[in-house]
Order: sequence, then structure tokens, then C-alpha cells
Amino acid sequence: MATYARPVERLITELSRLPSIGPKSAQRIAFHVVRGRPEEAYGLAEALKEVKDRIRPCKRCFNLTEEEECEICRDSRRDAAVICAVEDPYDIGSIERTGEYRGLYHVLGGSLSPLDGIEPEDLRIAELVERVKGEGTEEIVVATNPNTTGEATAMYIAQEVQELGVRVTVLASGLPVGGDLEYADEVTLGRAFAGRRQL
Amino acid sequence: MSPHIRALRLVNFRNYADATVLLSPGLNVIVGDNAQGKTNLLEAVSFAATGSTPRTSTESEVVRWPAEFARTEMRVVLGDGARGDERAVAVGYAPGQRKRLTVDDVPAESLSSYAAGGAGVRTVTFFPDDLRIVKGAPSDRREYLDGLLSTLRPSYARAVAEYARAVQQRNQLLRRIRDGLSSGKTLQTWDTKVVDLGTRVLQGRAAAVGPLGDFFGSAMRALYGSEKAGMGYSYSAPLEGYCEALTEARDADVERGTTSVGPHRDDLELLLGGMDLTTYGSQGQQRLATLALKFAAREYVRDATGEDPVLLFDDVMSELDGRRREYLAEYFQESTQAVISTTNLEYFEEELLSRSRVIRISGGEISSPADSSGKRDV
Repeated sequence: MATYARPVERLITELSRLPSIGPKSAQRIAFHVVRGRPEEAYGLAEALKEVKDRIRPCKRCFNLTEEEECEICRDSRRDAAVICAVEDPYDIGSIERTGEYRGLYHVLGGSLSPLDGIEPEDLRIAELVERVKGEGTEEIVVATNPNTTGEATAMYIAQEVQELGVRVTVLASGLPVGGDLEYADEVTLGRAFAGRRQL
Repeated sequence: MSPHIRALRLVNFRNYADATVLLSPGLNVIVGDNAQGKTNLLEAVSFAATGSTPRTSTESEVVRWPAEFARTEMRVVLGDGARGDERAVAVGYAPGQRKRLTVDDVPAESLSSYAAGGAGVRTVTFFPDDLRIVKGAPSDRREYLDGLLSTLRPSYARAVAEYARAVQQRNQLLRRIRDGLSSGKTLQTWDTKVVDLGTRVLQGRAAAVGPLGDFFGSAMRALYGSEKAGMGYSYSAPLEGYCEALTEARDADVERGTTSVGPHRDDLELLLGGMDLTTYGSQGQQRLATLALKFAAREYVRDATGEDPVLLFDDVMSELDGRRREYLAEYFQESTQAVISTTNLEYFEEELLSRSRVIRISGGEISSPADSSGKRDV
């Protein structure tokens, strides 16, 4: 026998499917919805529906968009000679918030991982190569995650575009800015040390 | 003086509900009958100092049944005790949860980084099961070497872990190629990654084997006799030709679905008068070689950090003859701090015991002359 009425149970079950939401959080959110005003719940339901109905990948860079091409690809002020390759669309947000980058993006859709059965064909690497050929790209900045699979993906991309005369760079890794050296973990600090530069 | 432990409290650790033990610099002897908790106490010292147990891979075993958590608290004396520089280091552990490590009540990332920064203790442990380092498979010897280097250099620990992951990925790719699930276009990429990380592991090991072998040699000279002992490193692929060897092995690797060359296939050779101790050593020689490996580890740590690690040796005396027992007792007495367990106090000379701390254990209760009042000041 279920503890709560069936619709409540269903909501809890659906919520607990979401990433980083466990059964306890799911229950708390469900009861918040049950207690809250109807408009709020309908607003959430509508937002969920809208996102599934209207959002699709940009046909050029595979960022998420409502149009054929995303806002960044359509922005003529951006430097089309540079493409930053990222694993997921939300990585774009992180880089955009730096305000340092004015080029375009390319969403790979993950990283190479034989253990998870992810091959180059499962990522948008061929599409990236096509873009480089067609758009006269001068530089690819590979901003995959700094772990084994992310680094292997960067190496594979470099190898794939080797003959196209495009520069391939990766992000530096090192210390968080504004923090104390004391609090850096030893691996990050070790890497920062290995990558030190002359003043 | 190197850092050492002044006091230790165990809560719900193995057979200890709540026990406190005071330790002295130099020799500490834990004495008790079989199955009273001597080994558990040694394990607890190591757990308190490093945040993990050297004894078992299923760590949840350390929690006393039916408790839900185990906790160790220790007081570490840094530098000259006269200055009174003492740290409180605590490890809280509930199976399935992240360990809670604190130094003076401030959460700590890892205890090895504190030890690296000179605010903790390093340990060298000996348990009878360690005989497998000499007798067992190459993986046991690699583990000895990697474990030692990892505690000294976090970047080495990271390279070892990442190398293992890269090899796993490559192995899976090999199987996918064999089974027709992958075109193998990324094999070159994974080969490069594997070689890059594997080279770092090989370089770390290559730099260590020379000095470690010398320390092993002098320890064997003291423990065994004049015959020359040393270490060799047996490469599945030499450092210079590593990349070529991996490329050459490709077809065979695809067929087998596993990576056949690299540091994960190497062996550390232990030699006595040119003879391989693993294959040809007598039981007695292998036992002494195990001890010599631990002594060599101590010297290596001392050489690398300038600090003497705390020695935790379980039931080391019973297998030895009188002359060697005497040598070991002096060896421990002269170290910064050693905690040794035994069933028989007669293995130690009266005079030596008078300069040492004796800790008696019976059924999970600890008593020693200096704290027989049972005071709990941890």
C-alpha cells in the first residue's frame, strides 16, 4: 500500500528520476507543489512542456535554441575564425560568463569513452571537421573536461584536423584565482607548478 | 625530532568500544594473548594516521558490530615536544559516507597532504600477510612500490590512478574492435594517452628503485648476512621503446582484449646474491626480505622527507631467532617511534623493556603502567 495518494506518489517518483534529487528531496519538492498555489504548479508544468516542444539543437554548433541557428551563431559581432569545442551545452554558459571569449562554439555531446561505448561517431566530431573546412576556421579551442576522457577527446580532435592547417589549443589548468594557495588541492597545485610560466 | 603520536583514542573500532592508549617515543610493546586485539590496535594507529586501513580492502569491517560508525582521535607531537606543538587529528568513518578528517577541529582534505606539509605522521606498517610482497604475484610488489611513492607524492598517486583508467578504456576499446563494435579510429589516441601516463609512472618507479634497492641491500645485510641483496626492475616494455612496443603489440592486444605491455605488467625483482627471492628464496629468506623491504621503505621516506616515519609492526618477533630479535628490538628502540605487538614479553630484554612502554591488552581493554588510572585525555 502506498503511503500517499497515487498522484502524489507519482509526482515523487517522477521527481526522483531527476539528477541529484534523492527520495527525500523528491518528497519535499512534491509537498511544496501540493501546498503551493495552482498557478505556480501550472507554470512549472508549462515550462517543462515548452522546453521539450520548442528547444532543439542549433544546426551549426548544436547549442540549444528555438531557431534554426542559436543566438551566438547568428551574432555577426562574434569572431567566426575561432571555435570553442565543449562537451555539453551548459559549458557554453560557464565560458560566456567569463566575458573573455568572443568566438563561436561547438557542442560535442560528451567525450570519448570506450567503457561507456562512446565512439567518435557518437559525438559531433565529424560535424566539427566539416565546419573547419567550410568556415575557414583558424583556431579550435578544445574546452573538454580536464579528465582522462576529456583529454583523450581533445587529442583525437587535434589528430582529426591535423591536415587542415588549423591551430588546436586546450585550456590551461591551474590555481583558482582569488583563492589561497593553502586551500588548493595537491593535484591542482602540482599541475599549476608543472605549467608555471616566466614573468 | 620527527612527528610522533602521544595518545590515541578508538571508538567503535574493531573490538574496541571506547579505549585510550598513550604512546611514547621509541619502543612501545603491545602484549597480550591471541585474539585480544593487538593487531586491531596497530591497525587503528595506522587508520588514525593515514585515514585508511592497510589491512583490508573492505573497510567497513573496521566498524565494531553493531555500531554505525568508527572514530579515531590522536594527538601528534610535532618537532620538539618541549615547545608543546601538538595537533589533534581525528578520523570519523561511517560506511558509505565520506570520511570526516579533521586537524585541530578544522576539516582536512586528506591526511597524507597534512603529512606532506609536516603536520601529520607517516607510517610504515608490517603485518604477517605482507609476506606476499616477496612471495606473491607481481601486482603485490607493484603495490608495495606504488603505495610508498604515492604517500610521498600526490602527483604520482594521481598518475597511477589515471594510468589505470586509461588502460581500462583502451582494453574496452580493444574488445570493441575485436567484436566489430568499433572501427578503432581512436586507438591511436588512447595509445598516446596510455603512453603519456604510463611514462610518468615508469619514471617515478625508475627513479625510486635505485635508492630503494640500496636501502634494501643494507637492511638485508643487517638482517640476513653478507650476501649482496638488491632490487631490479623488470620492464614489459623499456622506457625508451615504450610507444613502439605498445604499437607493436596492437594486433595481439586486440585478439586478447587486454593491454599486454606497460607499467601494469612490470615486476619488481628482489635479488639475493643474484638469485630471485620470489622464485628461489627459502621461507626464512623470504621472511627476512619482507622485513628488509619495510626497513627500506622507512629509509626511503626518511631520505625523501627528512622525517622518520612511525613504525607499526605486528607480531614480528615470533618467527625470528634470538640474535635477530635483539637486533630488531634495538632498531625499534632507536627509531622515533615504533609500536610492536607480541604474545611474549620474553622476546625483549628486561633492560630494554625498562626503557620502553609496555601496553597490555585483554579482551579489548587496554592498560599500561602510565595510564592505569584509565584517564581519558585525548
